[in-house]
Amino acid sequence: MKAVTRQTFIAGLAVTALTLVAGTAFAQGPAKPGAPAPAFSVVDVDGKTQKLSDYAGKTVILEWTNHDCPYVRKHYNSATMQNLQKDMAREGIVWLSVISSPAGEQGHVDAARAKALTKSRDAAPASILLDPKSALARAYGAQTTPHMYIIDPKGRLAYAGAIDDKPSSSASSLNGAKSYVRQAVAELKAGKPVSEPATKAYGCVVKYAPVS
Amino acid sequence: MSTLKMTAHTGLTLARRAALALALLIPAAALAAESTAVTSPRVVATLLSSRDAVAPGERFQLALVQKIAPGWHTYWQNPGDSGEPTKIDWTLPDGAKAGPIQWPAPSALPVEPLLNFGFEGTVVLPVEISVPAQAKPGERFTITANATWLVCEKICIPEEGVLKLDLPVEAAGIVDAAAQGRIDQALADLPKPAGFKAKLTANGADKLALALPGLPAGASELRYFPLSDTLIEHAAAQPSEGGSLTLTRSSAFRIAEPTVEGVVTFREGGARRALLLSAEVEPGLIQQASAPARPPAAVTLPALPALPAEDLTIWLALAFAFAGGLILNLMPCVLPVLFIKALGFAQAARASRSQVRQQGLLFLSGVVATFMVLAGLAIALGAGWGFQLQSPPLVILLAVLMSLIGFNLIGAFEIGGRVQGLGDGLASRSGPLGAFMTGALAVVVATPCTAPFMGAAMGYALTQPPAAALSIFLALALGFAAPVVALSFAPGLQRLLPKPGPWMVVLKQAFAFPMFATAIWLIWVATMQAGANGALAALVAILVASFSLWLIGVTRRSGLVLRAIAAAAALLLVGATSAFVIESAAPTPPSQARAEASDAWSPARVAELQAQGKPVFVNFTAAWCITCLANERVALSRQEVKDAFAKLGVATLKADWTNRNAVIAATLAEHGRAGVPLYLFYPASKGAQAEILPQLLTPDILIGAAERAAGREVKTAASEE
Repeated sequence: MKAVTRQTFIAGLAVTALTLVAGTAFAQGPAKPGAPAPAFSVVDVDGKTQKLSDYAGKTVILEWTNHDCPYVRKHYNSATMQNLQKDMAREGIVWLSVISSPAGEQGHVDAARAKALTKSRDAAPASILLDPKSALARAYGAQTTPHMYIIDPKGRLAYAGAIDDKPSSSASSLNGAKSYVRQAVAELKAGKPVSEPATKAYGCVVKYAPVS
Repeated sequence: MSTLKMTAHTGLTLARRAALALALLIPAAALAAESTAVTSPRVVATLLSSRDAVAPGERFQLALVQKIAPGWHTYWQNPGDSGEPTKIDWTLPDGAKAGPIQWPAPSALPVEPLLNFGFEGTVVLPVEISVPAQAKPGERFTITANATWLVCEKICIPEEGVLKLDLPVEAAGIVDAAAQGRIDQALADLPKPAGFKAKLTANGADKLALALPGLPAGASELRYFPLSDTLIEHAAAQPSEGGSLTLTRSSAFRIAEPTVEGVVTFREGGARRALLLSAEVEPGLIQQASAPARPPAAVTLPALPALPAEDLTIWLALAFAFAGGLILNLMPCVLPVLFIKALGFAQAARASRSQVRQQGLLFLSGVVATFMVLAGLAIALGAGWGFQLQSPPLVILLAVLMSLIGFNLIGAFEIGGRVQGLGDGLASRSGPLGAFMTGALAVVVATPCTAPFMGAAMGYALTQPPAAALSIFLALALGFAAPVVALSFAPGLQRLLPKPGPWMVVLKQAFAFPMFATAIWLIWVATMQAGANGALAALVAILVASFSLWLIGVTRRSGLVLRAIAAAAALLLVGATSAFVIESAAPTPPSQARAEASDAWSPARVAELQAQGKPVFVNFTAAWCITCLANERVALSRQEVKDAFAKLGVATLKADWTNRNAVIAATLAEHGRAGVPLYLFYPASKGAQAEILPQLLTPDILIGAAERAAGREVKTAASEE
């Protein structure tokens, strides 16, 4: 009897040890930094279905965008956004631009127009997700364009918020701005916790489609 | 005269551009007390002065007036979920000063599902200007306001205008009654300071309660507008009950100050009222970000950090560390030491219960102190856990220790039935030092086991801030010490131990063999690190150490002279051998045999192979890493894996961390690991980021990862079966 009890005990310990090694079972929660990022399955400009789970093991950046929003234009006209996209791609990070404006609202584009914009602006997202029903925006609670989300290789939201610390549409505000995205990516890369995982996003309001 | 400049970066149609050009060309004939208007199809902005002429030393009110087109709005100082507040940059005569914008109470402007705070219709933003006393009558007092604002409907247009007022300085100022009247009205409408102290307290993990004890009883339609944009979810409902508002914490929730400022608006008897609130914050809410702030990088010994309750992961890690510590008790190199300690308790239990308890606590302090020293070293050196096994002399020292404990267990140093060996000699000594030393010894002999078996947990711990890392090690130490401490405190448990008897001698001898096995493994590690000389050094060290102990033991009951000679001889031998060991155990580069097995890793080599269109598998391993060796055996060296790799053209690289290597350590850290194993699979395209494989491999995991990296599937012997 006693031997059985001890065996059970050891088996219990062994299970604990295995869980320890696996070490990834964490509680589900809302889309807050530190919690698992909401899963998605959205059609991109190439008609391909992009799933967050496709990128398990990689860092993913979501960029809410609206090409006519002055705040977005500040970052694209100065090539700041494109440079960030290219630098992130070089780090092996998957950059997904998200367009959540419904038809008839500012920023709404079809796939062809989205691709043309990428070409003309020399932008470098891995892909562009078309979200005209604003479902993805609702899932993440996106508020502004730009609104940036970083998802770590384990699928956890590592950062949500502003692209930098200068909430202004004026190009001069880019001087000396601290890029929260670069900061978070560098910290992730160094295996450190993200020091500012949640900031207040700034920009134009995301044009939400009415709930159907 | 006035000049104006308008920029609307976007959304401007040609007609709008034309309107803008007109506005530029035709300055409106403004009254002296009001600047020329800056006009866009959305906003007509002017600067309004309560003075037609200013007096030296006086203070007066100006206002930026925005007439906003229907459907459009500009923003309050906290714009809410999007937007940007109106800003004014002043250029004033020397010595003159402009105060801040005195903000009217905002309106809540829904943009489903979000909420903005701002103004519709006409908004008057008063600013106080002080005229310097040295201003002289007859001079001009020129005020230039460079104002920027964002005006939004659903779309947003940033606008800016340069508004200029040129007022004369006169001995007595001239009040512009109409302007003064408008500005006074705006000032009268500003939110008034609340005559009561509001209180902000936590209400569960994601809500806040704002107590408004002084609000009139009949107040309805309450809404709170915080000045900080990281306090609440702006669009969330604010249910009120009994003079308290329930607010929802912002996803970027952060309070840095002991008070938070804001405005509360409500309706009282048909009139809309607004109060300026300064709410006292419950101390527990202050400085709480949505994630713990990083403690300073300095290594501080184990003051437990204040960990936020919401952060489940750290508590989970602590729980796992405690469980891991418990498991360590069962490791082949630890169990013998602890078992003998436990038997000691069983024997002593009859003698004195309090003494047993004291021993238990001393054992605990020995364990904790040793763990903390080792963890502190691992963090301070940035070496990662397992660093103890990267230095050949240290590995040899551990092998010697294991051997001596083994010899002692088997009875090699026993003279006349008395136990006197190293380690156990200290351990069975009933003094306080003895119990403390047993704890320390248990940890030291456990380290070769912790490194390979606890790699994942240690890796997690060492990627945390130092305070969190030390807490994890502390939990590990507590778990490790728990069984012995529990035994020392619970007489009931002690009774469960079998009665002492001759079987103890048999068991004690049997326990010697796991120790020898551990020693053999350590000697093998030393051989991997330092070649054949490493093995020789380890064996010589074991010989000399055991001979010295035997010599001391055998002469223990002899005369003083003989004992002194034996001790001197032992000391001399050990000294000479140490020098020999350290010299022979210099690390050698990885042996040819191992380097050939798979290509040596370097970041450049990975890039090169990727550029050639090959998927690259990198195996970060070390000879002392048991998990690594297990993976080699059960997965990496399996034929189906080799076949799949060959068919998919996978290049395999090996990064050997058996000896210290800064580049490898940095790469491990990049991937959030403090130790090996680490398995990376790089896709076959240049610059693509690697997939991190689990620490415990199976052939399926490897083949699956290889297929993903190669971008195609492979039929393997296994899948054909």
